[in-house]
Amino acid sequence: MVFEPELDRALHPRLAYVRPGPDVHSLAELGSTVSQRFNSEPVVAYFLASEPDLAWQVALPSGIVYVNQHTGEILGERSRGQTFLGFVHEVHVRLGGGEFGKDILRWSTLATLVSLATGLYLWWPAKRVRVRRNGSGRSLWVDLHNTIGIIALAPLALIVGTGVLLGFENELAPAVERIIASRPSAVTRFRQASAQMSAPAITPDQAVAIARRVMPDAVPYRLQMPKYGGSYRVALLDPRRSIAADHNVVVLDSSGNVLSKIQSSDLSEGDRLFAANEEIHTGSIWGLPTRVAACFTSLAAVVQVSSGWLMWLYRKKLISAPPSSPERT
Amino acid sequence: MNIRICIVLLLLPLCTAFAADLTGKWSGTFRATGADHDIPQLFILQQDGAGLHGSGGPDQSEQYPIENAVINGDKVTFELTTGEWRFSYRLRVSGGEMSGDLDLKSENNARKAKVSLKRVE
Repeated sequence: MVFEPELDRALHPRLAYVRPGPDVHSLAELGSTVSQRFNSEPVVAYFLASEPDLAWQVALPSGIVYVNQHTGEILGERSRGQTFLGFVHEVHVRLGGGEFGKDILRWSTLATLVSLATGLYLWWPAKRVRVRRNGSGRSLWVDLHNTIGIIALAPLALIVGTGVLLGFENELAPAVERIIASRPSAVTRFRQASAQMSAPAITPDQAVAIARRVMPDAVPYRLQMPKYGGSYRVALLDPRRSIAADHNVVVLDSSGNVLSKIQSSDLSEGDRLFAANEEIHTGSIWGLPTRVAACFTSLAAVVQVSSGWLMWLYRKKLISAPPSSPERT
Repeated sequence: MNIRICIVLLLLPLCTAFAADLTGKWSGTFRATGADHDIPQLFILQQDGAGLHGSGGPDQSEQYPIENAVINGDKVTFELTTGEWRFSYRLRVSGGEMSGDLDLKSENNARKAKVSLKRVE
């Protein structure tokens, strides 16, 4: 899950990647090309990639169309629905089982926190940090469990602790907000939105340009087309921020007047704390280094669970140690 | 006498089916299975005989056109797309309320939710 976007692209390389070129087609051109190809379906939103070698996307009611923004070529369409990666995500957050699965997961995450503390207590007397070369059977798993457990204890505690906060966010949020005296998130409103059903007076490219002027340091990554509500919504990424960097939105009416803006810097302390908590949990807080760290910590968790389980099987004599393997704990 | 009662009883459901005019504003929430919180919903609907048009979204300023609307007695189905997500509603109308199921689909995920709406205008 730490590398979900990269894995998703790896599974759909012909849709996801493009050869960077000197020119970039306008959103209006791309949208028109896509709409013509797909039975005049209306464009609902545009997704602008952060890197020039990643394809832009045009959202239609029937699916997501990938386009080469440099050539205007339509690369293909993906329909909406559960994929393997989506299933993995669902298992991680709800065990794939809705409310009940989520409850099991969050309480077992809390139990894992207790397990980490008791593990440290058990490790403390011997303070073993080595894997014996001649170790086999139970002694090998004991060594691995001790060594990886203590090395990965701090990051594991961080990932499990932030997981507990995520799992119990609803219950904990009011108390946390009271403790840190959090004020509500601010939305800067410039004028009242009016429902307009007429065609927009500005193009999507002009809407993006206006949003860039409102937030010059941020990079647009998503544009929602106006329809009925009459407003363009441009979401922007602020690369200067490590927390909630993508929580920036400029809302424009279909004539290009700025209606409101939401900035990540205006988020309440509580919202920022929970956003930071989620980004620590997923490893995205400081980019690639923390994502790699989160990935290795997750692998360490797998080793800990497996080695702990095998140690228990040896102890219960459900599996037997090889004759040459001395029983040491 | 019995025949008259039978005719009335047979026609009664048809009367209620056609009596429900969905034109107006409907406000409420949905909560996806396993989600932490309710998501606000506001629909602005216009019924034209058996046809249904209008829009829906989280509030007045963020509205998306509804598509493929079908009214069948007290049941109404329609869809809308917000970009990432495709929403498919299957609702039952009862007086000033609509409630039912919602299927949400994104590029990688599919979820289910319960929806509850009340007429506000």
